[in-house]
Amino acid sequence: MENRKGHELDSLNNGEFTFSNDTLKQDLSLLMKALDSSISGIILTDNQQPDNPIIYCNKAFERITGYQRHEIIGHNCRFLQKEDRNQKERAVLRNAVKEGKECVVEMRNYQKNGTLFWNELYMSPIKDEQGNVCYFIGVQNDVTRRKKAEQELLHQQDVMEAQISERTKSLKESEDYLSSIVQTVRESLVVLNPDFKVLSVNEHFLKTFKVGKEETEGRLLYDLGNGQWNIPQLKELLENILPTNNPVEEFEVEHDFPHIGKKLMLLNAHRIELEGQYKDRILIAIEDITDRREIERRKDDFLSIASHELKTPLTTIKGYVQIMQRLLPSDISDKFKDILKKTGIYVERLNTLIADLLDMSRIQTGNIELHRETFDFDKAIHEAVENIQAATKTHQIIIKGSATNSYTGDESHIVQVINNLLSNAIKYSPESDEVEVYLSKVSNFLKVAVKDKGMGIKIEDQKKIFDRFFRVGEIQQRFPGMGIGLYVCEQIIKNHGGTLWVESEFGQGSTFSFTLPLDERKSNVQ
Amino acid sequence: MYNKTILICDDDEGILDMLELILEETGYRIIPVKNSLLIYEEIEKQSPDLILLDLWMPVLSGDQVLRTLRKNPETNNIPVIVISASREGQRIANEAGADDFIAKPFDLDQLVNRVQKLIAA
Ligand SMILES: Cc1cc2nc3c(=O)[nH]c(=O)nc-3n(C[C@H](O)[C@H](O)[C@H](O)COP(=O)(O)O)c2cc1C
Repeated sequence: MENRKGHELDSLNNGEFTFSNDTLKQDLSLLMKALDSSISGIILTDNQQPDNPIIYCNKAFERITGYQRHEIIGHNCRFLQKEDRNQKERAVLRNAVKEGKECVVEMRNYQKNGTLFWNELYMSPIKDEQGNVCYFIGVQNDVTRRKKAEQELLHQQDVMEAQISERTKSLKESEDYLSSIVQTVRESLVVLNPDFKVLSVNEHFLKTFKVGKEETEGRLLYDLGNGQWNIPQLKELLENILPTNNPVEEFEVEHDFPHIGKKLMLLNAHRIELEGQYKDRILIAIEDITDRREIERRKDDFLSIASHELKTPLTTIKGYVQIMQRLLPSDISDKFKDILKKTGIYVERLNTLIADLLDMSRIQTGNIELHRETFDFDKAIHEAVENIQAATKTHQIIIKGSATNSYTGDESHIVQVINNLLSNAIKYSPESDEVEVYLSKVSNFLKVAVKDKGMGIKIEDQKKIFDRFFRVGEIQQRFPGMGIGLYVCEQIIKNHGGTLWVESEFGQGSTFSFTLPLDERKSNVQ
Repeated sequence: MYNKTILICDDDEGILDMLELILEETGYRIIPVKNSLLIYEEIEKQSPDLILLDLWMPVLSGDQVLRTLRKNPETNNIPVIVISASREGQRIANEAGADDFIAKPFDLDQLVNRVQKLIAA
């Protein structure tokens, strides 16, 4: 515990203050503890860096928003608005930030899982002696309950009468409605009481496991079948649901089940309650993913065979092009030389495409291997930029700031990401002539932002551009050539424990940024 | 001085032709072998100074061939470069006892360099 606090202290402090004595350090450590026990979310943002990134958040902020620290640090706080970007409060905040004033707003924000919450946000500038606004502090409170109550009160009177007469009827209807959903859904559902006894199961459960209601309902979950759910790790997770409200997500069970044989099941479990009727029940949803896994595996095999077969003739073509270049008579026309050169370039492009395809299939099955080594991060970025600059006449690539000269990760993968972001930035901003790369350190993360002044990306498209390849068709029409690359980039950054995201307004350019944790040990402490 | 001999075993005709052309140009004598089942016979007859070996071939795969060569004291010392488009190529080649590995598609200059280095050694 002591150690961890020490780390956090360093990361907030980030080398900007030096401590003359231990009392000060102790005071700060106490302060950090106090901040973490606050029920309000508290964040600090660094106004001296582009787009005002978050450099500190307390525990409550993680709890209120459902995001973890590594997904928060380095981002602008507007990510909490998700797609809901037209609230008038946003302009109020923008103005306050611009003018360095404080303000209080109530606005709709969204947790990581998409749940809406009303955020009562108090925001205030921190100025230095010259009056420059260096930082902002933000204090967030989840006022959803109050807001709901207010809204409900407003409606109450109008609807009261109608409600009462409708009530009995609709209750019956909604019950029928619900049970028909539960019975038709193609997923196995089990409801447990707090002692893990099965209260009910749906049709699909009985069909999937080829069992009857009588051998299921009323029995202990762990005693079902041949003890397929009696897994210590699962038990522990399930036992934690009610006290902590933490759901069990995507738990895989591979087991030789009675009647149906060896299967791979995916299990999700949540606490459920229905107001006034019951609380403290556990709903388990079980999905048979045996076939899906098999198909994924086959798709993988297919891709690797396909890429092998494609590369074979490509090898021959590439060889012949090189031979032609060697055997070129000296009196040949420039036009011919140029054609030959271009042929070489397009053969190379085809080769990269095939490699991308493989990369993606490997990434999807989590097979990607990271070759972690310590390298000079800033230097690698500078070199990557130089290489791209050498091949780009239309745009000037400007690097600002610095991140670190020592980062441990897979250099070639990270260079692949930066190359991809740069070539996108150039490709999608044909009418401008500048791309900016900004390197910085935010708390214990490094951050890279690639900013273009191009056409920008509509908010509804921003998620799609990171999608997997089976939806690439649509993306390729709108953003030709973008599909595969960004998906791969995002996975690479995730594999390194960081996040990759885009900030963009349609018509005003885009900024693609990623963060990477600098301290390996710490980012693993979850 | 007689020309050094290189045996190339690949089930793809295009690659055989192309490699034959460039390596002959460089000054080697080439024995192309399309059917890997015939490779032992050719080795015995021609005793090549170096072998370029593909991995994924029908019936008898490159790594099987290589393991057999490495077990036999007469062929044990022939330098072998594995050339393959398989994503596991590097690992398979190492495990089977290759002297070098080149991924397809390769750069011709690089290939010629590696061949020259191994043959000179
Ligand atoms: C300290 C601080 C805290 C903020 N907290 C939130 C927040 O919790 N939720 C939110 O939606 N926006 C928050 N914002 C506002 C956004 O970061 C951003 O300033 C706002 O969306 C207006 O700018 P934009 O028009 O560039 O998006 C905060 C801003 C600052 C400076």
